[in-house]
Amino acid sequence: MAGIVGYGIYVPNYRLKQADAAIPWNSWASGEKAVCGADEDIITMAAEASEKAVRHAGINPAQIGSIYIGTASSPYIEQYVAPILAETLELAPEATMMDYCGSVNSCANALLGCLDAIESGRIEYGIVIGTEDRATAPGSEGEASFGAAAAALVIGKDGIVADIEGAYTYSTLFIDRWRAAKDTWVSSYFDYRFDREFGYEKHVVAASKGLMEKIGRKKEDFKYAVFQQPDERLPGLAARALGISSELLAPGIASILGDLGSCSAFISLAGILDKAKPEERILLTSYGSGSSNAFSLIARDKIEQKKKNLGVTLEKYLERKEYIDYLTYLKTTQTLKRAPY
Amino acid sequence: MSAPAPASPLFWRFNPEVYRLIGTKCKDCGHITYPRKKICPICGSLNQEEHKLNRRGTVQTYCINWTTPPGLEPPVPIIVVDLEGGGKYQGVITEVTQAEEVKIGGKVEMVLRKVWTDRGINIYGYKFRLVEEG
Amino acid sequence: MRGKVAIIGVGMIPFGELFEKGLETMAQEAYINCLKGVDKGIDPKEIKAAWFGQWSGGLIGQGTQGGSALASMLGQMEIPITRVENGCPTGSDTFRNACLGVASGVYDVTLALGAEKMRDKPGVESLVAAGGGTGAGMGMHPSWMLGGGGPSIQALYATRQMYELGCTMEDYARVAVLNHHNGVSCPYAHYRFEVTIERVLNSPLVCWPLHLLDCCPQTDGAAAAILCRADLAKKYTDKPVYVLGSNIGMDHGNLWDKHNFIEMLSTIRAAKGAFEMGRVKPEDVDFAEVHDCFTNTELMNIEDIGFCPKGEAHKLLREGQFERDARLPINPSGGLKAHGHPIAATGMGQICEVVWQLREEADERQVKIKNGIGLQHNVGGPGFGVSGVNILSRSP
Repeated sequence: MAGIVGYGIYVPNYRLKQADAAIPWNSWASGEKAVCGADEDIITMAAEASEKAVRHAGINPAQIGSIYIGTASSPYIEQYVAPILAETLELAPEATMMDYCGSVNSCANALLGCLDAIESGRIEYGIVIGTEDRATAPGSEGEASFGAAAAALVIGKDGIVADIEGAYTYSTLFIDRWRAAKDTWVSSYFDYRFDREFGYEKHVVAASKGLMEKIGRKKEDFKYAVFQQPDERLPGLAARALGISSELLAPGIASILGDLGSCSAFISLAGILDKAKPEERILLTSYGSGSSNAFSLIARDKIEQKKKNLGVTLEKYLERKEYIDYLTYLKTTQTLKRAPY
Repeated sequence: MSAPAPASPLFWRFNPEVYRLIGTKCKDCGHITYPRKKICPICGSLNQEEHKLNRRGTVQTYCINWTTPPGLEPPVPIIVVDLEGGGKYQGVITEVTQAEEVKIGGKVEMVLRKVWTDRGINIYGYKFRLVEEG
Repeated sequence: MRGKVAIIGVGMIPFGELFEKGLETMAQEAYINCLKGVDKGIDPKEIKAAWFGQWSGGLIGQGTQGGSALASMLGQMEIPITRVENGCPTGSDTFRNACLGVASGVYDVTLALGAEKMRDKPGVESLVAAGGGTGAGMGMHPSWMLGGGGPSIQALYATRQMYELGCTMEDYARVAVLNHHNGVSCPYAHYRFEVTIERVLNSPLVCWPLHLLDCCPQTDGAAAAILCRADLAKKYTDKPVYVLGSNIGMDHGNLWDKHNFIEMLSTIRAAKGAFEMGRVKPEDVDFAEVHDCFTNTELMNIEDIGFCPKGEAHKLLREGQFERDARLPINPSGGLKAHGHPIAATGMGQICEVVWQLREEADERQVKIKNGIGLQHNVGGPGFGVSGVNILSRSP
């Protein structure tokens, strides 16, 4: 099977304290989140993450046969995002443009699509970019918690730093969060406990279990478990249901960078890959909109050799920050606009 | 003054310059210029070849603009950069609001940023960002 | 050029925020004053060609002005009239074309008139229009232009001047202090009040390092000159002023083609050519009206024209060498800073001042005339790529 040949991430400089967005609306939140500057968006973040991934991979971008964008915050309903990144990466016109939208599970789906394309022999290398900066409205649920970031993976069969030895999907029709075409913010309706148990937990557990059965692995074979992190409690609940020790879980980032949507699991994965040793096994499970994809990865020797080409790491991004206030956030997100005349 | 919209030939023509940083180098006097030209603006020579600008450079000069066009909130710090490998670039520096943050001779690198929005379409281009030490 | 062209009359209106006057009224008044300025009188029908300096046209709501617009305004329907636009040096170039009309031998008497109506739009809008907005309207990509234009280009020079030449923001403010002081004595100036260095440095930032009082104002105004063949001048006046040299110089408009940010090749070329035409040197000049659209620009202009070596102007200013009663008076009219900058009228207004000074009719702002030579200078246009220099003299 194919694997990760290189990876790179980008986290914006700016932070908003989650409480600053919650308290004005008589709500409460703790921690902080990463937010885009006024001139940033999912495309600018994707550009920086993907350049780092290509440099880490050490391949010629012309070898990339397909570019996959996984996001729930595309600025367009009709118009591709991928070609802009194809320009900045200088891909050939023959590379396929794949915008995977519609869910925070999109990047995981994009990864699946990329693996299928390599397996079929249609492409030699693919680049998968998860990038998120979801729209929020004053008092909306995500205003306090939605964070912004991007993560990119170059996938191929040569120069692998981490093999992907298997993938599994579990999906049902389940509505927890949504954003209609006419809305400019993400909504949710019901209680947290319903969404938690019948949304996140059920699908993450089913996908992870199904993966282990499919590839004949037990939970003891895994050194790390990287789950989608809408908040810092949910991964622990899934781990408990699976009988996995919470020590395996990737560190909490949702109260530091926020709920990173499509790139949530992949940002955490980057942090794990930064320290994983060869032959260590990683369970990676995403979740969004009633869909969950689980992957099993094995770090290889090249993960050590290629370390010198790594771009700015997650650890560095966690240190590098500048706080903005809620008013600045409202102006940056264009929620508050100056009168036209 | 109404400007051509993003979905116009003007913007499409500039894709190689804006995204791939392709300028022109004069084979006779060595001057590097941008956008691509058929005639050297310095010596008038017709001997021109394509040249890809480097994304890193040092600050030649800068200013902080507080009187901006409608729709663009100030301050906008403007910068002229001496690029590694030759050529200059005029543009904007991002993540800076105070004059004290920028120094002539300081190192900067290009990062893709959203430069403008018109009719709901975003226009992207390279801005500069200070290179962090270490 | 030298020895071929004489100025037989000049006239202008006081510059300012003339909310009660439109473009047409201003042009007519300046023209009437100019006709009156011909000592022995002139029949308007003797004027055989005209050049109309008008910069903004459609950019700030005046409509695109052509030569026919001036023809109607002045009741001069029988002569050829061309509209001239060449950035901030429009006035210099309007004058230059009127000179060429005479020097070529085709016309005996020509008219140069510049008029600008800037104050029908708020200051920021006309400033932004001058800058090209976000770029696409000027055929450029926004990532190269964004928010740039007039003040920001000079601000880029100002930063580098401080770094390379050792001048300071106080030096820039000192230019404003001197020019405002001169403006107080000039009845045509837009601003007629004194300022202090402190007041300039405390005024709001327009484009760091330039403050509001480092920048010339947005002004309305009009000014005109009538030229004729040098050998016919005495028919119209006993005190003609002769044109020694009239030149335009170019530089690149795009900042990535500029060779440095402490001097402007447009001014250097324009001045060098004008001096060569007139067979005179900078040392021969008694006084000069230079283009101080921004305070740092004045220092750059003085050096670029050749009055002193690069990097010396701010030192000479500190010593008081450019005051009205000193060795080389600069901007006795108050300069653009105090006298105002109605773009196409500016150069023509400077010509009027040089003529009045050379004829010793400048009242309390009169400077000492030794060699009888005065110099007029503009610089501007996209990226400050155009400069105009005219050198005038009491003798042919």
